[in-house]
Amino acid sequence: MSGTTLDDASAPAAPARPSALRMLLRDIGGAFSLILVILIVLLAVLAPWLAPHDPFATDLMAVMEPPSARYWFGTDGQGRDIFSRMLFGLRVTLGMGLASLVAGGLIGAVVGFCAAYYRRLDGLLMRLMDMLLSFPAILFGLALAAIFGPGLTSVIIALSIATVPLMARIVRSAALVVMGLDYIEAARAIGMNDRRLIFRHLAPNCLSSVFVFSTLRLGQVILLGSALSFLGLGAQPPTAELGAMAAQGRNFLFIAPHISVIPSLGIFVIVLAFNLLGDALRDALDPRLRL
Amino acid sequence: MLRHALHRVALAVPVMFGVLLIGFMLMQIVPTDPATVRAGPTATQEVVAAIRAELGLDKPIWVQFGLYLGRLAQGDLGVSIINNMPVTQELATTIGPTVELMFASLLWSIPLGIFLGTVAAYWRGSLLDRAIMAVSVAGVSVPVFFLGLVLIWFVGFQWQLLPFTGREGPLWTWEGIRAIILPALTLGGVLVGPVARMTRTAVVDTLSADHVRTARAKGLNERLVVLRHALRNALIPVVTLIGLQIGFLLGGAVVTETIFSWPGVGRLAVGAILSADFPLAQGTIIVLSAGFILVNLIVDLLYAVLDPRVRQG
Amino acid sequence: MTRFWHRATLGGLAAMGLALVAGQAQAQPRNQITIMREIDADRYDPHRSTALAAGEVITMLSDTLVSMDYDMRTIRPGLAERWEVSPDGLTYTFHLRQGVTFCDGKPFTAEDMAFSLNRWIGRTTPRVTSPVAWRAGDVKEIRASGPHTLVYELNRPFSELLPNLALFFGSAVDPATVERLGDNFGVQGFNGTGPFCWQSWTPRNELVLTRHPNYRWGPPVLQNQGPAHVERIVWRVIPEAASRVAALQAGQADLTQFIPDAFIETLRRSPNIVISNQPNYLWDTYLGFKVDRPVANDIAIRRAFHMAVDRPAMVRAVWSGNATPARGIINPTALDYYAPADELVPAYDPAAARRMLDEAGWRVGPDGIRVKDGQRATLTLFAINNLVNQRLGEIIQQAVRQVGIELRVQLFDATVAWGRLASQDFDVLFLSYPYISASDALNLYWHSRSRPTPNRMNWNNPQTDRWLEDGRAATDPAVRAQAMANLQRQLNEASAWMNIAHNNLNLFANRRVEGARAHGLYGISIYKGLDLRIR
Repeated sequence: MSGTTLDDASAPAAPARPSALRMLLRDIGGAFSLILVILIVLLAVLAPWLAPHDPFATDLMAVMEPPSARYWFGTDGQGRDIFSRMLFGLRVTLGMGLASLVAGGLIGAVVGFCAAYYRRLDGLLMRLMDMLLSFPAILFGLALAAIFGPGLTSVIIALSIATVPLMARIVRSAALVVMGLDYIEAARAIGMNDRRLIFRHLAPNCLSSVFVFSTLRLGQVILLGSALSFLGLGAQPPTAELGAMAAQGRNFLFIAPHISVIPSLGIFVIVLAFNLLGDALRDALDPRLRL
Repeated sequence: MLRHALHRVALAVPVMFGVLLIGFMLMQIVPTDPATVRAGPTATQEVVAAIRAELGLDKPIWVQFGLYLGRLAQGDLGVSIINNMPVTQELATTIGPTVELMFASLLWSIPLGIFLGTVAAYWRGSLLDRAIMAVSVAGVSVPVFFLGLVLIWFVGFQWQLLPFTGREGPLWTWEGIRAIILPALTLGGVLVGPVARMTRTAVVDTLSADHVRTARAKGLNERLVVLRHALRNALIPVVTLIGLQIGFLLGGAVVTETIFSWPGVGRLAVGAILSADFPLAQGTIIVLSAGFILVNLIVDLLYAVLDPRVRQG
Repeated sequence: MTRFWHRATLGGLAAMGLALVAGQAQAQPRNQITIMREIDADRYDPHRSTALAAGEVITMLSDTLVSMDYDMRTIRPGLAERWEVSPDGLTYTFHLRQGVTFCDGKPFTAEDMAFSLNRWIGRTTPRVTSPVAWRAGDVKEIRASGPHTLVYELNRPFSELLPNLALFFGSAVDPATVERLGDNFGVQGFNGTGPFCWQSWTPRNELVLTRHPNYRWGPPVLQNQGPAHVERIVWRVIPEAASRVAALQAGQADLTQFIPDAFIETLRRSPNIVISNQPNYLWDTYLGFKVDRPVANDIAIRRAFHMAVDRPAMVRAVWSGNATPARGIINPTALDYYAPADELVPAYDPAAARRMLDEAGWRVGPDGIRVKDGQRATLTLFAINNLVNQRLGEIIQQAVRQVGIELRVQLFDATVAWGRLASQDFDVLFLSYPYISASDALNLYWHSRSRPTPNRMNWNNPQTDRWLEDGRAATDPAVRAQAMANLQRQLNEASAWMNIAHNNLNLFANRRVEGARAHGLYGISIYKGLDLRIR
């Protein structure tokens, strides 16, 4: 696939700079997005303590109420507090994204390392990755939901599979550059064992690329996952998940637009935060990486 | 060139094989006996047995897979569990609207994306550039359904300007055009951002390339330089990257079709999966994958035609 | 290439601009009416389908022997001009109208009617099986005794034969078309005597009907006996509730009964919408228990559901006040409703529910869920996945949790749900159903012979069966009423059901259309469509 252009573009890990964090913070967008991401993660982690209401409790006297002092984001069709549901939904949404990123990323990283390190495997592994890459994630989502039935697990597996080839490419090209450096050759020549070589030298040098990629990918994965939930193929009710909440609220769009608009807006903000942070990280760490 | 083409086709074959394997697996998990489904509720035992033999359900699994491929080759994708309609027939009626919707979305979003990207590259670093890039990051981050719901709420419901309840007719009719606008705006809306970003990068690269510098040195009008040299060369990678965006477009199309009740393959696929209509789900997934692989292949070959460097490589 | 893009953009923008300018123009062709619905049917065969989605179209495509008046009690002529019943209630003689033709022009005879009814009850070859063949009574023989005379003989009297013959299941179909299309009858085509004829069908999208030009035999309950005023009717599937509402307001579609209750208030205020309400509508939403499953077999648990759920508040919330909270098992407007039986249904009182469960030996466990003899108070609920059920499920789940009962809600897409609901893998279910009288409702669900479906409660009681049979065979209405009263008392006392809501029927029409009056027989809002007219 023409995606091979990525190889040419992805560059060696940036040479050590004084402080990537400082560079990131110098960029206004970067600083802003970093704060936003931290805030989002905090909200998700602290959800049980922050939520003013039980996210499942139904107040039948206050159904589809617009935002008010009592219900900050209003209530949904069952009289549940949207704000509390969003806090808990944030956990599910982020968890879904992280789970698939970690699972897909780990497998992809292993494949990438192997391809770079064991040159004989390279052709085969990368052709395999090309095949996986030639599929849009939505098709994995549809196929897995069809096989295992709709649910969060299907979505996570689908998103993981879609992440594997991308991560493999990033890691492979980053590792290849390091492999070309003299001291690795030397280490190899003196018979340093493979595992040590990989963990001591290769892995740390790929980190910045992986980090930038993961941040950007998390945004994409969340966007995809929430779309699948929106279609009814992901999180099932009464689970609070932002995409699923938006889908349920869609039924009341014309009478109580807040039920679907607020969770959708939530997804937008989360994905935007990760995308901005990813862009800023790239500028700071790895300017030549194109994703 | 030929080698390149062969290589690409060779890559597509195992991918398609994988898709068909998934399709076959889906047919294996049908909760009811496919023969009974095909025979219909009123069939006698003998009829079911005959169909079982005809479908080869009494043979080992790998033979069944072979038979399955054989039936596919004849365009037989099985029969929907829900309404006993041949899956091929259902697909035939839904492919058109999907292609229509994608076409209409690309028609406006790609020119706009290229335009914005070029403008941003030309005045790079300016406030305009920053604004365009901010909008395009937002465009990359916005959920398709959010865009769709907002358009429905304002344009369709509050202002009552345009319909949003599905296809009204073919694109050459008045109703057809009106009905496709909102879905096409929604689906295209999420494409503008990525296309603008890609174009900007490509144009920035070419603006600093040697022949462009030469053209500038020759004293050519700046606008001509951008249009004739930079943009033109930049378009080559952009075209391919747009090919890659087809996957992204497909994802958006599934959601857009669902929101706007657009009678396309995406909506059919979601409906089939939610109602556990395995033959239909299998058919939609195979068709969507095959379409995607085909488009990618075409874009890839087109790329090779456009760019001589690839041809040699 | 740039030039190409340039042109393409300009062209596209121009097209969009033009379309925007034409904003408010009517999208509807002249003399065509578009009716919206939420789901499509799997087929349109009156003798095989029971779905409302099939019925609402079949009533337009064909006719039945008798018709039902808007009061949901009075039987009027249909394809039969008049009829006689023998004193023993066993033989019905129907005199059919003359000059009736099928859509293809072929004359309709008593032979065709006999074929249609026999096909319904599975007595033709190839045999079709209608799940509702029992509605035709215990048939001895149905035969034509002349070109326009039909003799309908029963083995046992059936006091409600005529109302059942008014339902779309007994619709007339052309035997030749049935034979020609075989399994695809009602999928690839149809040939009936109705005011509209089959034109085309794209499943899950739209079904187009055209006017039957020679139709003159509409039921007397309608103002127009035919032919229809409208040339074309398009039944369009629009799964999104919100889209249906907006389409109706914008005039892109004309009619629908499928408007979520939450929208009704908005539409009532809208100047271009006319709402027709049917007060005699019988369609209930209920929660049923499998009375032979562990936990659900304990009457204390079943009564606790009644006491834990604030049904009036829930019905107000879920239906936005557009349904009546149910108490007993039968709607008070139904024939043979027995009011005193409703006193036996426990009222909302969560504190009392907790006390009762304590007394019954259900002790609260560490996680708040009650346990008795090592058995957790956990129940699994199956239902069709729709908005009402989603909301009911989540509200009831939450409510019974407060008294220590765990409810696991599993909703299935409509197509899968019926299969799942026929299984024994659950304890509780939601369903909603139409009926025509107390006798009809109770006969449908509670006879031991009706297990496993529609008697999904697995209710098996010889006394119930006897009362049901007495009522069914009664030739004296008072005898039937007495049997029905006994049954209502028995079933309400056993709390085998928690009846939730008596639904309302509203037919919403864009002002462009007149003559839309909600009928509601078996849930079908538009009866024949003969009175519909473009203003």
